[in-house]
Amino acid sequence: MNAETIFPSLQTMAESNQWVYLWPQIALVVLGLGLLVLEMLLPRKRVGTLVPAVALAGFALIGVLVCTPLFPTLADSLTVFDGMLLSPLSPGIFLFFIASSFLTGYLSMVCLPRQVLPRTEYFAVLSFVTAAILVLIHANNFLMMFVALETVTIGLYVLVGYARGQMTTLEAALKYLLTGAMSSAMLLFGIVLLYGAGAIKGIADPLNYQSVLQLFKDAQLGAGDSLALCGVALTLCAVAFKLGAVPFHIWVPDVYQGALTPTTAFLAVSSKAAGFVVLLCMLMFSFDAQSLKELLIPLLSLLAALSILFGNLGALSQRNVKRLMGLSGVSHAGYLLLGVVAYLTLGHVSMLYAIAFYLLAYMLASYAVFGVMSHVATNIDDFQEMQDYRMLLEKCPFLGGVLCVGLGSLAGIPPCAGFIGKLLIFICAVQAQLYWLLGIGIFGVVVSIYYYFGWMRAAVYRPWRSSQDSSSGKIPMESAQPSPEVPSVWSRLVLGALAAAVLLLGLFQGSLVSDPANPRQVSSQTSVPQDN
Amino acid sequence: MSIGLNHFLIVAALLFSIGFFGMLLRRNVLVLLMCVELMLNASTVALVAFSRYTDQMDGAMFVFFIITVAAAEVAVGLAIIVSLYRRKQSLMAEDYATLKN
Repeated sequence: MNAETIFPSLQTMAESNQWVYLWPQIALVVLGLGLLVLEMLLPRKRVGTLVPAVALAGFALIGVLVCTPLFPTLADSLTVFDGMLLSPLSPGIFLFFIASSFLTGYLSMVCLPRQVLPRTEYFAVLSFVTAAILVLIHANNFLMMFVALETVTIGLYVLVGYARGQMTTLEAALKYLLTGAMSSAMLLFGIVLLYGAGAIKGIADPLNYQSVLQLFKDAQLGAGDSLALCGVALTLCAVAFKLGAVPFHIWVPDVYQGALTPTTAFLAVSSKAAGFVVLLCMLMFSFDAQSLKELLIPLLSLLAALSILFGNLGALSQRNVKRLMGLSGVSHAGYLLLGVVAYLTLGHVSMLYAIAFYLLAYMLASYAVFGVMSHVATNIDDFQEMQDYRMLLEKCPFLGGVLCVGLGSLAGIPPCAGFIGKLLIFICAVQAQLYWLLGIGIFGVVVSIYYYFGWMRAAVYRPWRSSQDSSSGKIPMESAQPSPEVPSVWSRLVLGALAAAVLLLGLFQGSLVSDPANPRQVSSQTSVPQDN
Repeated sequence: MSIGLNHFLIVAALLFSIGFFGMLLRRNVLVLLMCVELMLNASTVALVAFSRYTDQMDGAMFVFFIITVAAAEVAVGLAIIVSLYRRKQSLMAEDYATLKN
């Protein structure tokens, strides 16, 4: 951007009141700051209960207001502040991430009181990170994307290391810090190479996503374009790190295990979904960028195949449920990447809807499972084994039922939303004729049933014992396990709503799935922007 | 011999690879953090060079953001490392390997 181009853009910015499109982000930052002020004002005894309540009410209020006409409805995609691209589906995307933060906040209300920890800062950092995610997913400019991504990542370092009294948590924070910082540095170098390649070729505004894509419009790459290809590869590495795709997944099991359960849920859902939205935003206009597609389709296919295989096979031997959720999350990233590859190959809008639906189903089921996990956990939740779930259905039918629904959806069993999500992704793969990836995907699903159902079996059935054992009148092992605390009314409401949503979305998809001819009809929870 | 864009880029690439391989090979946590800084500064050098040789302003502007971000990252990173050091009196990466299968 040069001096003569800055002035007109500032002028249009001043003339059109674009701040109105930023109010959800501003409201979230104000909420976070307000919480910090509130902590100082309130009497010390009330802080622990009031601050989380205010935070949750704030998230809910912002989430509801985003869907009202307070957020201007857009007929077409719109560029604001020269760095953000809003689409007609933006309110839906906002709602997805705000709902995810609301649920994380709810889980931390369950988990944090067990620890001797300050509570306000958790919610404040959570709302800052949410605001940064909302900026990140609409960034249309590498500078904006980098700064927003770093805000998210640095906030997540704090959230991962929040229980700083526990050695395991600190270790997880260290691992996340080192791998995260390395991936940011690679992303930055990639951006710089892309910028350099664009600037040398004389492209105007070489930090813009669409301007960068002009580099790849020619069928034949020139000699200088190796710079740009290196840039793409480095940027892809950083995005794959966010997604937790193999081979950038090494941090996933350790960090998921060491972090507090709400943070783990946030990493599993919001951070991963943000990575996918960023990836799709970058690739949105890449259909005529032939040389980029030639590079990216094999690379992304490889990442998808490795993620599905490694995630599922790695999770097979896990007994620790948090590591299991982490590794199975790697495989879910693989299925989503399969959808991205299909989208890149054919470019049908319906494939974006498939990815969005999968993310939505994944979010609902994950929060249901993590919700049960935070109720079953004791004050140290890093070493939660499958054995801790023995007979959960008998001890607490409600938690057991929610767990079964959530796991069933993650495994992709028919009446749940996860089945439809997987089905849609696989249909996309067939349409794009990615048969070998499809085969790997189906193999992965079959493998995943083993470990999800192993967990379910632990929760439902009595451990098998021979007749001599039972006749000798031994005390059954599970009676030694403490019964989980009885969930409160609010917990029942939230977890019940999640389980019900999983089942309902499995039975009725309505207009959520695909109606490319009429995208405005899509219900507000679809989570991928769409600009055609 | 006059110094051109390529020389700057070679320096940047060297700095980046020193940082990258340092991340892979070194065991001291503080040194690892310094390697990350090295990688970020490599990007800064390349960015300024590109910006200077193509007369585009936004590359030079980007640098300020990178400096800010790097400072924030180090602040949080050092806080984590200090609280780890308080508990174990060690900065070696291999001492922090309790989370495993």
